[in-house]
Amino acid sequence: MYRYRLLVGTALAAALLAGCGGSDSPTATPAASTAHGTLAISPPLRIASVDAATFQAQLGATASGAQLLQVAGAPACGVDFYYIRFWTVGAVGETTESSGALMVPTGAAPACSGPRPIVLYGHGTQFERSFNIADPTAFTTTNAEGAVVAATFAAQGYIVVAPNYAGYDISTLGYHPFLNAAQQSGEMIDALAAARAALPTTFAASTSDNGKLFVTGYSAGGHVAMATQRALEAAGTPATAAAPMSGPYALEALFDAVVTGHVDLGSTLFAPLVTTSYQRAYANVYTTPSDFYSATYVTGIDTLMPTTVMPYTALYTQGKLPELALFDSTTPVVPGSTPLTDLLAVPTVNPADPITALFAQGFGNPYLINNSVRVDYTVDAAGDPDGTAIGSAALAAAAPTYGLRLDLYKNDMRYGDWAPNSPTLLCGGENDPTIFFSVDTLTMAAFWSALPPNTVTVLDVDPAGGPSGPFALIQAGFQQSQVQLLAYLQTPAGGGLSLAEAEQALVQQYHGTSVPPFCELAARTFFSQF
Amino acid sequence: MINCVLRALPVAALLVGASICRADDPIPNNTVRIGEYWVFYHVYADNLSGPFVPAGANLNLKNVQTPYFAYLRRLAPHFTAELAFGIPPLTKTYGKGPATLGSVPYNGVEISSARWFAPTAFIEYIFLDESNALRPYLGVGLNYVNFYDRNSTAAGNAAAGGPTSISLPNSIGAAATVGLRYQLPHNWSVIASYSAARVKSQLTAHTGGVSRTSDISFGPQTLVVAAGFSF
Repeated sequence: MYRYRLLVGTALAAALLAGCGGSDSPTATPAASTAHGTLAISPPLRIASVDAATFQAQLGATASGAQLLQVAGAPACGVDFYYIRFWTVGAVGETTESSGALMVPTGAAPACSGPRPIVLYGHGTQFERSFNIADPTAFTTTNAEGAVVAATFAAQGYIVVAPNYAGYDISTLGYHPFLNAAQQSGEMIDALAAARAALPTTFAASTSDNGKLFVTGYSAGGHVAMATQRALEAAGTPATAAAPMSGPYALEALFDAVVTGHVDLGSTLFAPLVTTSYQRAYANVYTTPSDFYSATYVTGIDTLMPTTVMPYTALYTQGKLPELALFDSTTPVVPGSTPLTDLLAVPTVNPADPITALFAQGFGNPYLINNSVRVDYTVDAAGDPDGTAIGSAALAAAAPTYGLRLDLYKNDMRYGDWAPNSPTLLCGGENDPTIFFSVDTLTMAAFWSALPPNTVTVLDVDPAGGPSGPFALIQAGFQQSQVQLLAYLQTPAGGGLSLAEAEQALVQQYHGTSVPPFCELAARTFFSQF
Repeated sequence: MINCVLRALPVAALLVGASICRADDPIPNNTVRIGEYWVFYHVYADNLSGPFVPAGANLNLKNVQTPYFAYLRRLAPHFTAELAFGIPPLTKTYGKGPATLGSVPYNGVEISSARWFAPTAFIEYIFLDESNALRPYLGVGLNYVNFYDRNSTAAGNAAAGGPTSISLPNSIGAAATVGLRYQLPHNWSVIASYSAARVKSQLTAHTGGVSRTSDISFGPQTLVVAAGFSF
């Protein structure tokens, strides 16, 4: 006979129940709201934290970083690099998540903690969709611009807010609203609002916004910065000061010059960014992409940029873009106008003027943009010229009728006759082969020539007449760096280039590499007086 | 005459109490044990991977010690089934790799902790005749681990870049044991054993909207010393 008596141990029951639950650490939570200017993730992720000595050592470990340290100076502060994700809107009101950097200075020094000024920064054109200015692990690869900004501003006590722009990084917007003043300034202001909300949740919660706001940006980011300065003033929250750098401010004048043969460096990459942006915003650039782009390159051109191809230069070898030939080397005929036809001829190379060789390189076969575009654009420009073509600094007298030109007109920073109320520094290099200094910076300076003294200051870091004025040291530093670079490129360590090749390399690096650290130093110097 | 005794035991130590009374078998079929686990981890982990993770960031665990409990059921003269578990120990994870991540301390810093509920079931073969006081045994079985109370420390949050939650899926793996049992008078016994189990999981750290992972083989090996009472 068997008897069973079953008892359930309370110890087992307790152990089993304990194994089924338990608490976990809290983590960042996705926000419920998608209202523009709000954080999508709070608190934001801190990607890295470096003290001043570590940051200096990291920069000094590479040749380019060491050169940057010479210009920006040794870090006075450490930097915490945060990755903010926030909501903004696209060119036609699409809700989209965007991302960017919040760089917070750290350290015990008074200039590194407590109430600190904010620099709101617009980055230059990036061709790869994965670009992330918040990522310090990419400072020596794809995020050199982030290194310059961190070294120049964050490591010297400025809180930096820098969006990646819609269409980049984690943004699901299928395009980038390139040179769209309304969208890009709106996104900058959204990033600023999100960053201000994030600041108290960071590891450096004692660092706060002291109320001073400086707006700056380089290249396309210079246009973004100027548009943001305008938008902030319109909103009644003006910036303390602004320093747009090497930007395409006078868009109508710039593109009028390009279309008539002054082909700037990088134009084959800029073209699809511009046309896609404006086609999405205004739907008036073309009926179909083949109206604008040659059969060789039209397939997929409207979704090509920014690209997922890494590196972007592979687009050339893959046959998706020409490296240099923006226009057909066969000159189009402008019906009924020999002068306009002559205007569209391939530029003659003048050995005494190296930039003419650059212009001539913008023509070839295969080419990117149809001749019909050049004809229609030029006819519009001839009938309604930009002021710079007829001796003034003004926009065209009437709104253009050709779609692309009308879009450029509306996003030109002279549009609406706006002039800055807050102190503004316009910095650039007069030999810039990408964003022509005279067409953009000097045009804006002339446009605003009637403003009170010291409202607008122009700085050419590469003056033909040599250094002078309050920024003479920066000018001297830039020009000396060019001399040193030219010599270095001809050494074995620098590649053993011939003099002609080294000069060409200098041209290639001028806009995107050589000028930025010096203009950013000038911006910081300018900001320090407020 | 059938002499059948159901031995009452303290409720806290009783797992399942049952007795089978057989007129011709005086050997008790049930045993409960209480003792101590010494757990030694032999961790092999992939470097943490995920967005913005510096190269070489890895993990390590600190050995633990916890009370041991077990219930055994005699199946046959040479076979026993054992269900063993411990009071879930708090297992601490430490950074392993670079001394700092940027300027944030990492190597050797406690970055997270979790409790392990880790019962193991064995089928054991007991050598020598039951009349021998000292009997070696070996067994094979199955281990289950539920990781709970998973927490990132302040140092872990600093290294990860913000408040961090930890995920560790349950583990089920093979286990083996070898031991010595010494029979004492009045149904008492003592044992010493060495066991090993395959415990693997994937640690995921969620911080600021990004996730970093590491596949971890914990490689726990345990020493147990325990006293048992049979009934």
